[in-house]
Amino acid sequence: MSKPLIDAQSINKTFDRLKVLDGTNFTLSEGEFVAITGKSGVGKSTLLGVLGALDPAFTGKLILNGVNAAEATSVQLAELRREFMGFIFQDFHLLPNLSAFDNVLLPAVFCGTDTKSVRNDAAAIISRLGLRNDNTPTRFLSRGERQRVASARALVNNPRVLMADEPTASLDEESEENLFDLLDSIRKEKGFAIIAVLHSKKILSRADRILTLREGILHEKHA
Amino acid sequence: MKNTRKAISLWNRGHWKDYVFSQGMLLIASLLLVFFISIGLGVGNILQRFLSSDLPEEQVRVTPLGVQAGFFQTERGGMEITADIMDSLAALPQVDRIDPQVYAHVPAYLRGLLGGRNYYTDITLEGVSHAFVPDSVLEHIDWNYTLSDSATKPLPIILSENLLILYNAGFAESNGLMGLTPEGVIGLEVQVNVGSSSIASLQAPPINLRAEIVGTSRNTALFALAVPIEFVEEINAIYLPDDRHTYSALMVTAHKAEDVPEIVRYAEEMGLSAETRRGIAQKAEILVGVVTAALGALAAAILFSSVASAIHTLVADLKNRSYALGVLVALGTKRERLVYIFAFQIFFMSLISTVSGGLLGCGLSYLVSTTLLNLLPVLKMAVSSLAVYPVGWLSTGLGLVLSVSTVSAWFFFRKILATPVTELLRR
Repeated sequence: MSKPLIDAQSINKTFDRLKVLDGTNFTLSEGEFVAITGKSGVGKSTLLGVLGALDPAFTGKLILNGVNAAEATSVQLAELRREFMGFIFQDFHLLPNLSAFDNVLLPAVFCGTDTKSVRNDAAAIISRLGLRNDNTPTRFLSRGERQRVASARALVNNPRVLMADEPTASLDEESEENLFDLLDSIRKEKGFAIIAVLHSKKILSRADRILTLREGILHEKHA
Repeated sequence: MKNTRKAISLWNRGHWKDYVFSQGMLLIASLLLVFFISIGLGVGNILQRFLSSDLPEEQVRVTPLGVQAGFFQTERGGMEITADIMDSLAALPQVDRIDPQVYAHVPAYLRGLLGGRNYYTDITLEGVSHAFVPDSVLEHIDWNYTLSDSATKPLPIILSENLLILYNAGFAESNGLMGLTPEGVIGLEVQVNVGSSSIASLQAPPINLRAEIVGTSRNTALFALAVPIEFVEEINAIYLPDDRHTYSALMVTAHKAEDVPEIVRYAEEMGLSAETRRGIAQKAEILVGVVTAALGALAAAILFSSVASAIHTLVADLKNRSYALGVLVALGTKRERLVYIFAFQIFFMSLISTVSGGLLGCGLSYLVSTTLLNLLPVLKMAVSSLAVYPVGWLSTGLGLVLSVSTVSAWFFFRKILATPVTELLRR
């Protein structure tokens, strides 16, 4: 059996005296789609932040692509986020004055990587997600379109893990379905794994595993 | 580093207008600073030109108080330098030697050819000793001259350089006469008439003499022509034998430069004016220093606040867009890279603003200089330009502004970007 992409053991995370993650365990295998659910404020985004190497202030063991996150430098963590993962944020966090293409290109430009090859990939993923590759600033796009731009940005680096924090929040059912149809088809091709915080039952049914976060611990129930 | 300009361009798209005010201030502040420095130094040059002196360090020029205009305002009335006063000064232990100067109380005029045209002017003669004459002149000229020499050699004259400036600016141009340079007048032969002028004449018949300008000096009285002292004593005795003998100035030489202040103090206590090389230089320095420093300080204050404003604008922009910063960090951008990019941005913007401001300041000072020199020919004769461009100093200033802005920006950006990424994303 191959090593898991993410292996988290006994993860603890507290805010002041509030224990949000209490010895949480989690593993993610290659190509797997894991959905995380739970009530509001239970710590789903916090868990995603820890697993996504965004929040180093935790205790426990976290291995990301074979790298011990607890001992990694900020540069190593940045490299993991850049090359190993892709993120879709709840509010998309796009630069509203930039076009879809420039938003997708932005991480590569800021990381100082060669943008020539990224340009081709960006154009391809934009087209694949049914977006117009023109100069329209994203502030003029619909919410569904902006969601797809955020997805394109997360996927342009060919990540092995896609992390999505309520990516379809405030989208209508049809747009939600369309987005996951697209993500599923790309996932089948590229083979990346997904960890997504979700609520929609329809989308949850697509997941390989559904984990519910309750009192700081993940409880698994099979889809 | 790779893609830095592209990153700055993408990050600021739609935000450039936020920087217009702060960068505009920076541009104007640089403009003012360069303008004030340039014109301030130019004004300094003019004052230096008018007030400068070749007095040796150990010499004091003692004169009666008030403005002296030679024959037209003789030393009569007020404090006069008499033989007693000279003896009193000579008795000071600090004094090594005194070389007196004497005005001719006799009206006189000068006539000659300038550029093929007749030239006439009333003059005042001031008798000076060897000590007053520059060594370079004494190498070629015999400074001893009495009326008995008039048949065999011309009367040597030393001309005030400042008088030349005034002649060029105030007289030559308006009368269509050729301008004169110190080098150009040396060797010029003229006729000097002693005993009468256009406004006065004495009973004794006037004397006509051949004269030659042998040198120029910054130390002569403005309206007087310096000639050998024996000659002046002689004509004063011939034309006005009953006049009280007084001196127009005393060149007092101290044993050493450190003795000069004591001599100055003594002369001033006697009610006389005492000029020293340091005193003359100080006048110019103080005048220019005060004006330039005040204007420079004002411009520097504006520049400082502009730099602060420019940094503040960018920092405020980053704070307002922390979520976007969080996204960039979350997507794998190293914090150091972001700090580098934003510090480079402030460096780049400040560079453009300060260099543009500096160049505009140079242009403005050039324009003001040209206009003033055209309006005031007297300045034109003293200096070729009112604007001075000390490239080294200006470059150092520019470097300093850029260093301060970039380093401060670096410090502030590091502080902002030290915030945990999860917190940046929540803002």
